[in-house]
Amino acid sequence: MTDVFVLGVGMTQFGKHPDRTAADLGAEALQVAVRDAGIDPRLIEAAYCGHVFQGMVTGQRILAQVGLAGIPLSNVENACSSGATAVREASLAIRAGEHDVVVAVGTEHLTNRFRGALTPDKADPEAAVGATMPAVYAMRARRYMEEFSMTREQLALIAVKNKRNAAQNPLAHFKKEITVEDVLTSRPIADPLNLLDCSPVTDGAAAAILVSGSVARRLGDGRAIRLAASALRSGSVDVEPTSMTFEPLTRDTAVDAYERAGVGPDEVDFAEVHDCFSIAEVLRVEGLGLFPQGEYPAAVERGEADLGGKLPINPSGGLLGKGHPLGGTGVAQVVELVRQLRGEAGDRQIEGPRVGLAHCRGGKAVGIEGAACTVQVLVK
Amino acid sequence: MTVQDLAAAPISFRPGELEVNADGTGHLLGSKCRSCGAHFYPVREACAGCLSDDLETVRFSPRGTVYTYTVVRQSTPAFEVPYVLGYVDLPEGVRVLGQIGGCEPGDIRIGLPVVLSVEAFGSDEEGNQLMGYRFRPDEVGGGES
Repeated sequence: MTDVFVLGVGMTQFGKHPDRTAADLGAEALQVAVRDAGIDPRLIEAAYCGHVFQGMVTGQRILAQVGLAGIPLSNVENACSSGATAVREASLAIRAGEHDVVVAVGTEHLTNRFRGALTPDKADPEAAVGATMPAVYAMRARRYMEEFSMTREQLALIAVKNKRNAAQNPLAHFKKEITVEDVLTSRPIADPLNLLDCSPVTDGAAAAILVSGSVARRLGDGRAIRLAASALRSGSVDVEPTSMTFEPLTRDTAVDAYERAGVGPDEVDFAEVHDCFSIAEVLRVEGLGLFPQGEYPAAVERGEADLGGKLPINPSGGLLGKGHPLGGTGVAQVVELVRQLRGEAGDRQIEGPRVGLAHCRGGKAVGIEGAACTVQVLVK
Repeated sequence: MTVQDLAAAPISFRPGELEVNADGTGHLLGSKCRSCGAHFYPVREACAGCLSDDLETVRFSPRGTVYTYTVVRQSTPAFEVPYVLGYVDLPEGVRVLGQIGGCEPGDIRIGLPVVLSVEAFGSDEEGNQLMGYRFRPDEVGGGES
């Protein structure tokens, strides 16, 4: 089985784009990725497009804009892991030997579709009684605070850290640093979470060109980064009520990825994790085994997850700071990993990383711990 | 309550999940695996524990305890804010999400005993009143621990 490399990456400005479409944003990201890879776009043999709410054949609209129509294309939906799932599908097509050059693109235009809280699908029994995504994470936050004595200020520090990183990222939705006080006085959404504990409604797209080992050696020019693992799991049904302060789905997906990549959590130099809410970052990094359970909030307080800390988390600004265009998010994480591993991350560059990890987790359905989870490991 | 109100059969907002009786009481419905005894909410086709498809539909106990909760202050247009939402653990070993009413949010805490209450919960497209459920502090059953 061939190795898979990421040869080129690109993303649009994340933010509010009232005059643009998801396809238009996806096409821009794809073009940036092709230029970054330095390849003739006619080498692209297949495409996977991740999005959630953009309607039929969004991927085909993207390819039509860039003159690539005709190649095999699948649109992929896996809630907030849609883009990451597109990356995985692209990697599988290469590992299977079917293709040598495949593009994964993720896109979402949310600001013309949503205001306020996302909810599970309205047919879901939990949506029927008033579940919203912020409410579910708020309940997890309350339980975590009770079990592990996390303070409200510690939780706010995660949003402060990620907004600070985003301020160093020219493509991030938010460019302004905030304080703990700003978080605590922002509008209440679902107690104890306030507006600044929540990722914003964002438009944006990202793309990654994946290639086989032979193409990477021929065209990579030393800039290709190896995608050592791309793991995916769906959430399992609870046979009995389980802890909402730990994520077996994240742990199990990470174990799959660590085994495939041949690296352990102690070898990860930095990670982009699915911080859709401040509390989510805590649950992710502990599920991934990057910090012991119950200890992440204090580690953030000590600066361990800062850009200059011993294990930087969400150097791009994460979903809280960079923004969260659902389908775009998983691919944008890969963009950040590649830029950091190449040493092209500008003012937010981490010192000499070798192993980067990206984690996405999305969706909610009654009775299952989570819907779709991905963990990707990139190795320089 | 008028004679006419008594005559109208209450309609469950989700008949597959909430059984509503003529007298306005009701139960949440789920599955019990006849093979390994595991319970599930809502009704499932097969057991996630042992994969047996020999499941029976059962009525759950109305009493449980609050696992965690929140006060929702921003929601969809279908729900008027604020409202309290909580996960409630039932003795059968299932966790059910529901709104919590009948008390001030400040009186709710993790571990609070609650009881199911069938209550008016929106209306269908023809304007018929639908019955849903909320949990309320259980002052009779478990009482304050």
